[in-house]
Amino acid sequence: MNAFNRSVARALVVCTLGWGLPPQSFAGIVSTAEVHASVMRDQVKGFLARAEVRAELEALGVEPGAASARVDALTEDEVAQLTGRLDQLPAGSSDVLTVALIVFLVLLFTDIMGYTKIFPFTRPAQK
Amino acid sequence: MFPHAAPARAGVVLGAMLMGLAGCAPPQLAELRDASSAALPARVELDRVPFFPQEEFQCGPAALATALVHAGVATTPEALAPQVYLPGREGSLQAEMLAAARRHGRLAYRLAPRLEDVLLEVADGAPVIVLQNLALGFAPLWHYAVVVGYDQPREEIILRSGTTRRAVMTLATFERTWARGGHWAMLALGPERLPATANEDRYVAAVVALERVAPAAARRAYTTALERWPGNLSARIGQGNAAYLLRDLQGAEAAYRQATRLHPQAADAWNNLAQTLLELRQLDEALAAAQRAVIIGGPRLSQYQSTHRAIAEAH
Repeated sequence: MNAFNRSVARALVVCTLGWGLPPQSFAGIVSTAEVHASVMRDQVKGFLARAEVRAELEALGVEPGAASARVDALTEDEVAQLTGRLDQLPAGSSDVLTVALIVFLVLLFTDIMGYTKIFPFTRPAQK
Repeated sequence: MFPHAAPARAGVVLGAMLMGLAGCAPPQLAELRDASSAALPARVELDRVPFFPQEEFQCGPAALATALVHAGVATTPEALAPQVYLPGREGSLQAEMLAAARRHGRLAYRLAPRLEDVLLEVADGAPVIVLQNLALGFAPLWHYAVVVGYDQPREEIILRSGTTRRAVMTLATFERTWARGGHWAMLALGPERLPATANEDRYVAAVVALERVAPAAARRAYTTALERWPGNLSARIGQGNAAYLLRDLQGAEAAYRQATRLHPQAADAWNNLAQTLLELRQLDEALAAAQRAVIIGGPRLSQYQSTHRAIAEAH
């Protein structure tokens, strides 16, 4: 992420602090996430990480309302994984033409190598 | 991904193929050839899996819609785009693919990084969403596709991919592109279904994640987990917590009681039972349960103590 986006993200973190608490904040009940991980969760740290991911999503063009719902659907581990890395992690995205071209080239090549036989004009390189 | 970069990238891909295919079979395919698993039918094709030809950059929403519609959700790639598509990246992140499936009440299950597991799931009737890197590590071309079939004797795999309804790829090429995507594969399953290759910890973790956004579906999935692994404490308490979130306090009480019977040393179960009994105004029993939690103790002792205090005050 460039410096501008990052500063926008930081500013949004500050602006949006205090929006929505995690849904499992039922007083008195130990959440399943805590039972399963059997560690004490740092609520404040997790909360800040959520705010940061939400701000980064917004900086990358997601509508504020949608960003909030998207962050809520992530687990603590997923949030930790995403924080500060939204611009580097794999984002499946290849466009139609590229995929079509690659599928064609792959099949053409596998034809030539004798793995497949799809195009009538290819002849396997080895028998 | 930039469309104008496609020819250059494709050249790189062709180069990679030349290098890759000239060698022998990739490791997991070689293993598959040797093992010839008895559990794996020779060929399978899930014809009834729908197909959504992808719009530009929208392979994430298209792949997700394919799996979700097959799992009984009424949706489209257009409806899913606002939940998974990231405009600034012109793509979709893996974590959000999992999260979006959960938002539709489906269990998002990450498969172990094994080719055989992908094929076993397809043989069990579940389409598998995979992340492929169609180019190279240093110049990636990330792509989501859905595995819907394979033919072992011919060493081929069948995918819903991009604008191709039935893309056939050799298993060798698939394994290489999939390995470059980090062997990432997921299922979107109804909560009553256990994956064919289900692993206890992975499955229960997936249900815990589902509970965040879809407690009713999670409640069903905890039952699925407990049918297979009746001794799983997280699933047992989770069943109670999901009922509690749905405000079915009697259901929650029953699940926590069962948890305390099977796991008498589980302080969390005693604490949650105490809290639920407090809300049901069964104060004597609530107090006894809270005392058990405090006596057992553990890292969440302060929480048990505050539950105990609240009950003592109400008493």
